[in-house]
Amino acid sequence: MRDTLYYFIMVPMVYLAAAVFVAGLFFKFMNVMLSPRIKGRLGLFPRRLPRAAGVLKDAFALPPAFRKDKVFWALIIAFHVAFVLLALGHLELIREFAFLQIIPHQVFLGAGAVGIVLIAATLYFLFRRFRTPWREISVPEDFILLLVLFVTMIFGSHMHLAARYGIAGFDIPLEDYRAYLGGLVSFKPVIPDMIANSPHYIIIVIHIFFANLFIMLFPFSKMIHSVFAFSALSLKRK
Amino acid sequence: MEKEKISELRGLMKTRLNRPMRYYLDLCTRCGLCYDTCHVYQGIPKKEYSPVGRSEVVRRLFKKHFRLSGRLFPYWGDAAALDDAVMDDVYEAAFSCTGCRRCMVHCPFGIDIPHILSMAKLMLIGNGTAPEELVMLADMAVEKGESVEVFRDGFKENIRNLEKDVQQRLGLASSEGLIPMEKKGANILYVGLSGAHSIVHPAVIFNRAGENWTLSFFEGVNFGAFAGDPVKMDLIAKRIINEATELGVKEVVMVECGTAYRILKFLTGEHPFRVSSIVEVIHRYISEGKIKVRGGAISEPLTYHDPCQLGRNGGIFDEPREILAILALDYREMSPTREYNWCCGGGGGLVALDNEQFRIKSGKIKKDQIAATGAKIVVSACENCITQLGTIQTGYGLDVQVRSLTELVSENLDI
Ligand code: SF4
Ligand code: SF4
Repeated sequence: MRDTLYYFIMVPMVYLAAAVFVAGLFFKFMNVMLSPRIKGRLGLFPRRLPRAAGVLKDAFALPPAFRKDKVFWALIIAFHVAFVLLALGHLELIREFAFLQIIPHQVFLGAGAVGIVLIAATLYFLFRRFRTPWREISVPEDFILLLVLFVTMIFGSHMHLAARYGIAGFDIPLEDYRAYLGGLVSFKPVIPDMIANSPHYIIIVIHIFFANLFIMLFPFSKMIHSVFAFSALSLKRK
Repeated sequence: MEKEKISELRGLMKTRLNRPMRYYLDLCTRCGLCYDTCHVYQGIPKKEYSPVGRSEVVRRLFKKHFRLSGRLFPYWGDAAALDDAVMDDVYEAAFSCTGCRRCMVHCPFGIDIPHILSMAKLMLIGNGTAPEELVMLADMAVEKGESVEVFRDGFKENIRNLEKDVQQRLGLASSEGLIPMEKKGANILYVGLSGAHSIVHPAVIFNRAGENWTLSFFEGVNFGAFAGDPVKMDLIAKRIINEATELGVKEVVMVECGTAYRILKFLTGEHPFRVSSIVEVIHRYISEGKIKVRGGAISEPLTYHDPCQLGRNGGIFDEPREILAILALDYREMSPTREYNWCCGGGGGLVALDNEQFRIKSGKIKKDQIAATGAKIVVSACENCITQLGTIQTGYGLDVQVRSLTELVSENLDI
């Protein structure tokens, strides 16, 4: 029973999450594209930069946040940069990317710092919402998404730090994660024995479970801001 | 609320589900960066008067009535079903917003809150709870467009009287043809408002500049837009578009009315004529040497209030400042200014409603801003702003004079 549940989370649910993610994004995209355009222009003034450059600046430097709350801004930027590094790190678990070795590192850049930064930023975002006036404008989704991220990251960080610094007999070598993820992407899923028989297996299962959950919620929650931000920012400069 | 009503309102919401509405409704992260960027919230710090608070009212309804997730798990996004109490919140959110879009400047995604609220306004019309004054004024404007013949002679008669005023101001011997009407092939079709000042002063300036112009039969103000009725908004704007096309003018010049300018320039598609604000035209005349204003004519400290629809929503920042730089000896800038300037609280048709106490409260930050400059004269270039600035001035007993830019120019022309 336990093995079946674990297997379900480690393999079929991962495929399910990926399918929901792709189909969800496609659905959301079509939802917008099939809606009527507007006749006018909703732009704001002044526009000191060419449109494309302005959109990139707005999207990646977040000037409104910088003007308003420097601490919040710094944590938003740190969070998003770390998130990208995290995604790259996971890709490196599947395959080596030579160009990423410009800064020599083991699989994950940052020797564990990336995870810590993410956790700290996530907690800041969460605690910020506990206060007036942000508490009043928050809906359950806002808290739940942060909690899902928090749990995923805590367990992910643990796996990484424990393996890297050899904590308390954490016995799962990198090669086994490689075999597991490699199996998933080549559609020949395996759960290597070193993982399946490890007393730490449960930690990996929890990490994968919450990551799956997050990926499935992505297209249907406010996480869609990662896509639609560009549409809105571009309209703002039309 | 009855089932039929709910489905009727849902139908109205659906008509507003255009592309931007779709992604605006989905992408707000409730980061709260816009929270206190609304002047109404500054005056009355209630969640319902914050930009995100306003948009959440609509977003929660949208989730419940258009999203499977909202129907299955309303808990997730705090989805709310349509009922009478919710419609009161909808009213509160929509008709306390001036459409100034200051919040949009402060949103990291540039979400257009008034665009979201356009859905709220349409629902209120469907629910029969939109402000009667605005609906009535919109209907009258549409009616005037349909039966212009009925108004024509009376209007012309009034204009003949105004011509005498213009004649006096210009010191001419005859008032003949000082306010031309129905002039085919004129360069400019000027669109005024119902008040005489909105015609007399521009007429003085056009005559002084030797412009080939003609006056429109219609007023620039668009109560269809204020009421939130896109069909009437179009009909009201069409009156002017058709008139301009029939006369074959090169340029339509809008009176000091921010909304009228923005609607014609940005919200009604492409036109075979250019659209300008009277402020741009005055600026052009001065730069081309067609008119001259008395340099340093005003010695009292003076400040300029950027009308939201001309400034951040219309891109006219420099022209009024350059005109005032000539006229005023002691020009003072407000802080914050330009695209960050605080809305006065008069836009969105709010000055036409019986809500003076609310407007005095929501104008508090504007009052503070004006007082901080120490200016004795506040100039603006929008009829709504000028009315509301007057309300703030009396409401707080502020020791300032509120003046229109066009008026100031017309009175200080170097003859
Ligand atoms: S600033 Fe924009 S994203 Fe943030 S809460 Fe306001 S509307 Fe939403
Ligand atoms: S558009 Fe202006 S009035 Fe409306 S919510 Fe935004 S800041 Fe407030």
